[in-house]
Formats: sequence, C-alpha cells, structure tokens
Amino acid sequence: MHKGNLMETNLVIEGFKFMGLGMGTVFVFLGIMIVAMNIMSTIIHKFFPEPQPKASTSAPSSNAKKQDNNKKIVAAITAAIKHHREG
Amino acid sequence: MKSIISKFLALFMLVAFTVASANEHATLEEKPSTHKEESYHTKPFSEMITGFLASTGIVALVNPDPDELNAKGETMSDFHKGLGRVIMIFITFFLFWLAIARGFEPLLLLPIAFGGFLANIPVANIAGEHGFLGVIYHMGLSNEMFPILIFMGVGAMTDFGPLLSNPKTALLGGAAQFGIFGTLVGAVALSQMGVVDFTLQQASAISIIGGADGPTSIFIATKLAPELLGAIAVASYSYMAMVPIIQPPIMKALTTQAERKIKMTTLRHVSRLEKLVFPIVVLSLAILVLPESTPLIGAFMFGNFLKESGVVERLNDTLQNALINIVTIFLGLGVGSKLAADQFLVPDTMFIMALGIIAFSVGTAAGVLMAKFMNLFPGNKINPLIGSAGVSAVPMAARVSNKIGMESDRTNMLLMHAMGPNVAGVIGSAVAAGVLISLFQ
Repeated sequence: MHKGNLMETNLVIEGFKFMGLGMGTVFVFLGIMIVAMNIMSTIIHKFFPEPQPKASTSAPSSNAKKQDNNKKIVAAITAAIKHHREG
Repeated sequence: MKSIISKFLALFMLVAFTVASANEHATLEEKPSTHKEESYHTKPFSEMITGFLASTGIVALVNPDPDELNAKGETMSDFHKGLGRVIMIFITFFLFWLAIARGFEPLLLLPIAFGGFLANIPVANIAGEHGFLGVIYHMGLSNEMFPILIFMGVGAMTDFGPLLSNPKTALLGGAAQFGIFGTLVGAVALSQMGVVDFTLQQASAISIIGGADGPTSIFIATKLAPELLGAIAVASYSYMAMVPIIQPPIMKALTTQAERKIKMTTLRHVSRLEKLVFPIVVLSLAILVLPESTPLIGAFMFGNFLKESGVVERLNDTLQNALINIVTIFLGLGVGSKLAADQFLVPDTMFIMALGIIAFSVGTAAGVLMAKFMNLFPGNKINPLIGSAGVSAVPMAARVSNKIGMESDRTNMLLMHAMGPNVAGVIGSAVAAGVLISLFQ
C-alpha cells in the first residue's frame, strides 16, 4: 500500500515534469521558428526582393509605360496639328 | 434445292448444339446440388422457423450468446452484448442529430457515428478482425496512416501568409498548448486520488484533446492508448465542433471591452518565395529539435509545399479534395469501429469527455492570457481575442475570434490576424505530440 502510494505521488510529479518539458519544447520550438521566420523574411527581402511580383509586373509595367508614352506622343501630335490648323 | 438442304443442315446443327450445351449445363448443375443434398438434412418447417428466429438480432440482443467475443477476441459482459449495444445505437443516433441538425463537424461526425452504429450490430461482428470496419481499422488506423494522410490534405489547405506577416503571434499558438499539459497533470492527479485508473500514457492521450486537433489526437491515441481511441476521437471532434459554444464565454470573461476593441495593424504583404521556403524551414527545425514530431509536421509541410510550389496544381487539388475526402470516410468509419459498447460504455469515457472539455477550455484561456501578457511589452498591440485561436481547430477558432471582435466593434476584422495563431497552433500541437511520443520511447 505504502509503495503504491509512493508510486502514485511520483506519477503527479511525473505529470508536472511532462508539463515543464512539453511547454518548454513548444515555446522553444515556436521561438526559434519566429526567429527563423524573421531571418528568412529579411534575407528574402534583401536578396530576392519580391522576385515573382517584380518579374511579372515589370514586363507589363514597361509595356504600359511604352503605351503611356505613345499615348502622350499621340496626344501631343494631335494638339500640335490642332494648334497648327487653328493657327 | 441445295441451298434449302444446307439451310436445314445449319438449323439442325444449331438445334443440336443448343441441346447439347443445355445438357452440359444440366450435368454441371447437378453435381453441386448432389453435394448440397449430402450436407443438408431435411428439417420440419417449424424447426426451420425456430432456427431462423434464434439467429435474429432481437434474440442476440435480448439473450446474448455466451460464447460471443468482442472485436479483440476477448469475452465481454452480458450488458455490453445486449442493452449496452442498444444504448450505443441511440448514442450514435444522437451524434447523427448533432451532425445533421446542428451542423457539428458533419464531415467526420457522420462517418464516425455510422461506424459506431455498424460496430454495435450483434452477430455480424463488423468491427471484428474480418469485418469490414475491422479491416479498415487495421488498414490505416492501427498504423497511424490515416491521420498522416489527413495532415497532408490540411497542409495543402493551409495558408501561412498571416503567420509570416506577424510571426510573434505564433507564441499564442504555443500558449494554447497549455491545455494539453495542464490536463495531463489533472488526469494524473485524478488517478492519484483513486477516482480513475489512467496510466501516464492514457492520461497523455486524453490530454492531447486540448490541442483541438483531430488528426493529432487520433495519431497520439493510436500510439499511446488505442483502447481509448473511440472516446478520445469522439470527444475531440465534438469539442472542435462546439468551439463556437465553448470559447466565447471564456474569451469574454478574460478580456475587457477596451481590449476587445484593439485594432491590429494591417498585415504586410508576404512574397511567394517566403511562403515557399517556410515549410522547409519549419521542417528543418523539427528535424533538428524534435525528430519525433516529423511524421506529423513532415506530412503537413509536404502538403503545404506542394500547394505553395504552384507547379503541381493537380497533386495539390487531389490532396485538398479527393484524397482528404476518401481518407476522411475511412478514418471516420475506422474510429467508429471503436464505438463498440464494450469499449465505449465504460466509466473511463465519462472522464475522458470531462477532461477533454477542461483541456479545451484551459487551452483557450491560456491563449487569451498569453496575448494579454504580450501586450505588456512594447510593440504593436495584439487583440487578446485572437489568442483563443491558438488552439488549432482551423479555421473555426479564428472565425470565433473574428465574430466576438465584431460584436465589440463592427469594423474590427480579426479573421486574418487570428489565422496566424491558428496555424501556429497546429504546429504547436504537433510539437506537443512529438514531445509526448518521445517521452514514451
């Protein structure tokens, strides 16, 4: 009986040990994960600054710029012609 | 003239052939019928009726066969063979009602409940070793295969974007795991007081309900305490379904109106490369820190990696839909096979249900308190309501955070902020599971 009691007491202590180790591991893991995430984001933003969006937007944006320029040129020419005719 | 003769000849041959083949059939049929006659003794009709009536389910339930064994080949009490089965069948009807009328996780609760219904049929022994439920159980549950496959699908459905844009919310997902370990201590203390008799393994398997992660619970239960699988799975899934009922009172009790109105800074944009590298980073960490957790985290990150790679849309689609649906059916039925009366109608089940809800509530409270604790430090303030989403239960817990937040301030959208701790909670409970497994190695 006495021995059984002793073992059961150990069981609760065992439970607390589990809790300490478990919560410790979870927090350490997530803590390292947070640090790793921050490092990863910094590296990616520094060395690979948005490669996907940039690659995909740079091509259309340059196109769009060209079109914009063309439009401006067309607008300037038509204005000049108008001015010339009126003048 | 010639043509008529040849036609006659052809007709004759046809007739002869059919007759011959019919004869052949007849002789073939005769053989087994003579065999049958040898083993079949004629009985008076009254005896046939009584014999048939003795094999009905009613008789089996009212007057159980003393030699009948349970799925594991052990003897069971008359209660578990008769009335117990009837009670269990009514419990499965109650689960049907919860799933259909109340919408409680119907995707899993319905297969589980129907599996339980089938497992409690007398005579047929469907949950036995050679019954189809037993075959399903051995195919993927006793070897922890199905939870892993589910994790792949869940990984493919998860978006780590909100977590990546606000990494510190991962701590909330860690705090919520306190539900697991707090309950573990509680379960062991109950055993010490002599109320129940749970071993440390059983207590661990029960407490993982606090992680609010169905597949993880099943994974741990099959590994540490397969005899409690049915009760643990049912508790886990029904509490996950009851998140909108269990969590709000706790969240409101622990926060002030001002705290609930805290607006969080908008999430920054997360690049595709970050999302792609993240699964690899987490898995590498798991390899270094806790290899025992890699079956779960590995499968999870595999699914997520396929999704974020963007080049295997077909596989991603299969993981998210076809595979997870098929596995869910099998997982549900396999778990249901553990709802047999002799395994479920035991006092332990009541304690598992009670400990499960405590685990869940403690996890919720710990998440909220952790958020309040983090607000003591300088930096961007966190709305404590998203702390409760640290218990996994994706995405239900995050939706609850959002809903309670909107009750205080209609313009405060917390959903995406709450998804961060929510997915961190999945990782956190997988880590907690890994710790528990490693402790029993």
